[in-house]
Amino acid sequence: MSAGGPGGEAHGGVAPGKIIAFGVLGGLIGIYGAHFLSIINPAFSFIGALGAICAIVWGADAVRRVCSYGLGTGVPSIGMIALGMGVIASLFGLAVGGIAGPIVALIAASIIGLVIGLLANKVLGMNIPIMEKSMVEIGGAGALAIVGLSTTMAGTFMFDEVLALVVAPGYIAVIFIAGGMGILHPFNACLGPDEEQDRTLAVGFEKGAIAMIIAGIVSMVISTTAAIPAIMIGVFIWYISFAKFYELTKRDAYKVLGTGLLPTEEELQ
Amino acid sequence: MIDIAGILMENISYVLLITLGGMLISFSVHFVPVGGAPAAMAQATGIGTGTVQLAAGAGLTGLVTAGTVMQVSDNPPLIIAAGAVGAMIMISVTMIVGTWVYVYGVGVPPASAKVKYDPITKDRQDLYVSQGTEGHGLPTVSYVSGVIGGLLGGGGGALVYYSLMSAGMDTGMAMANLVGLASIFAVGIFFVNAVIPSYNIGGTIEGFHDPKFKKWPKAVFSSLIATFMCALVAVLTIGGL
Amino acid sequence: MEPLIGMGVLALMGAAATVAGASEDLESDVGSQSNPNSQVQLAPQMMYPHRIYNKAISGEPPSNALMCAVGGTVATVLMSAYNMSPVFAIAMGALLAAIVHGTYSVTAFFGRPTSQKRFKQPVYLDILWSHTPVIMGYSYITTFCILVISYLMVAVLGHPFPLPLLAFIWGIAIGAVGSSTGDVHYGAEREFQSVEFGAGLNAANSGNIVRKGESGLRNGFDNSWFCAKFGGPVTGIAFGMVVFLSGWVTTVFDPARGDAIGWLSVIAGALLVLIMILWNRKIEVAARAAYGPYKEDEVAA
Repeated sequence: MSAGGPGGEAHGGVAPGKIIAFGVLGGLIGIYGAHFLSIINPAFSFIGALGAICAIVWGADAVRRVCSYGLGTGVPSIGMIALGMGVIASLFGLAVGGIAGPIVALIAASIIGLVIGLLANKVLGMNIPIMEKSMVEIGGAGALAIVGLSTTMAGTFMFDEVLALVVAPGYIAVIFIAGGMGILHPFNACLGPDEEQDRTLAVGFEKGAIAMIIAGIVSMVISTTAAIPAIMIGVFIWYISFAKFYELTKRDAYKVLGTGLLPTEEELQ
Repeated sequence: MIDIAGILMENISYVLLITLGGMLISFSVHFVPVGGAPAAMAQATGIGTGTVQLAAGAGLTGLVTAGTVMQVSDNPPLIIAAGAVGAMIMISVTMIVGTWVYVYGVGVPPASAKVKYDPITKDRQDLYVSQGTEGHGLPTVSYVSGVIGGLLGGGGGALVYYSLMSAGMDTGMAMANLVGLASIFAVGIFFVNAVIPSYNIGGTIEGFHDPKFKKWPKAVFSSLIATFMCALVAVLTIGGL
Repeated sequence: MEPLIGMGVLALMGAAATVAGASEDLESDVGSQSNPNSQVQLAPQMMYPHRIYNKAISGEPPSNALMCAVGGTVATVLMSAYNMSPVFAIAMGALLAAIVHGTYSVTAFFGRPTSQKRFKQPVYLDILWSHTPVIMGYSYITTFCILVISYLMVAVLGHPFPLPLLAFIWGIAIGAVGSSTGDVHYGAEREFQSVEFGAGLNAANSGNIVRKGESGLRNGFDNSWFCAKFGGPVTGIAFGMVVFLSGWVTTVFDPARGDAIGWLSVIAGALLVLIMILWNRKIEVAARAAYGPYKEDEVAA
């Protein structure tokens, strides 16, 4: 894996503050919306996964900002640490928080992230200026993604149901890796000197939609009513974001060719 | 709300054991000879993959073995030893097949560029390093170092899993729920403690003879703090049910 | 459980693991993934544009863990919610996992070359259309075999972990094995066949990968054809050995029959490791004798 180049601040695009607000608010609204509306009708549980998509896009943007500095090791490591702390914090939040569970999860993940960020800079001497802030964001995004997807799978974020329906059968493993890949893959896939924020985040939406489809499939265990909207809407978001990504690829690429020979010597000059 | 202080007092020994396990995992990563991308081109000594990846692969294989043994035995040293052996087997097999590829597929003898003589076999190293590279393959010292890494990492992972399971045993939680929680928490704690040391060593290391190895106290100290927090949170979740 | 049944199941798991290992390695060769891909990534920057797939889906362990976890999840849902037969459920799970893996491959293939606009690396759609189905095919085989292993462990050997989690862990393990063994054959040999055999990659040659094939321009198929001769099979042997040996010690010396037997399993495992340390040493000595030093000792000369 190639690291993120010699480094420097990520450039351009939507300001970090807006994406943080989008991730936190979108994530929490989605999770609470799914929780309360599912009581009326299980079909509404898909809203939790929409919240998870917001969180995944936020996480992908945070990865993009921190990895632009070059970590000395591959981009994937930061996604794995995010989900490692995220899974512990989010299950803790749901277990002790009751109705405030998702918020407790977000706070717990942020605190663990802050400590790991401080350790990385102060003890390990990584000296990345935004490390603390980014680890808080990535941990929080990981926790919201896990809670959001769990809510769609179980139809609620009450711990007993999540434990019995998501953790015990092992579906938490797929949340762990699909959420983690959703956060780390967009920047990793678009890594390079001509990376653009909108193209990277389009991949974030696309990977979030895949996680949503998988969460929808798992919710079949509870009710088909819950599964169908989640899968359909997931496929729809996937198609829209993939089409957008392909369009941006055609905008940004040197050339998109059906086939052809390599560029000639003169062309490369 | 749950009685936080009460649960912590009851389970404080498990919190400490989980923290110890995390520190062992963190320490173990420093032993795993990983050369990162250059090693995959026989351009650096060690295995041609990332630190996190190989440590996690070995440690989690150990976790599977520990899970098998934990189901039929409640003898902690045996469970931890089983985890350690599982991880050691995984990493030994990977390294021996890696050696086949380097020697028979690429045609290079194992050699380290960080030391002049292999500290174990006393073989001369620098003459066997091909031009323009930082060594290649797995000389005996790196191989033994990797095995030690597997031993510590697998043992640490098993210790974390054992402590989490034990913390939940007397809460009367259904077995499937407890195994599900303990195993995903163990995986999470494993990843946190595999990433911290890999940031410490910058992603590559040859083994315990590498000068970078001396940096281990920094990573182990960081893991002490990070794992302690994770352990508190995990034990509260499991013990609070 | 009857020890003989245990051994039979273990043999089946070992066989499935061998197939999975080989297909995992060839999947990463045809698409060019993980560490050797860093050279494919570097090449355009060094003025060597190419027609090789650039499948930068993180490292192999997370990407394999993803497809195995997706497959395990879908299979478990089908088995628990619809009572489908395990074989059908596993096949469906592997199919969905292959599709998900395909989307990850495509985004990486579009993303990386596009972000190298200034080095004038074109995006060739025929490479996408021809290689992606092959990548998905290999990933289907890998996922199917891993799910067979995980299912046998849960259903027959009575492992306590749930199926999706076991599949996830074996996915991490197979990715770690594959990127440590077979990939070296692709990275150190196939990508740099133009330089003399028997040396590591000289840093001066970085990025100068072979871009021309036996016929036409080289692509991922040519690479997997080459790696199928050595890198793929040895990866299969490696992962087969991991699954077989780590299960073998606890099947032959079953800890359920008492702690003393359990300790025997630990000793047996440690002995296996010791044998491998000695074996590695033997190969090291033989290689040093056969290939000789690259340069003379200046003091002696």
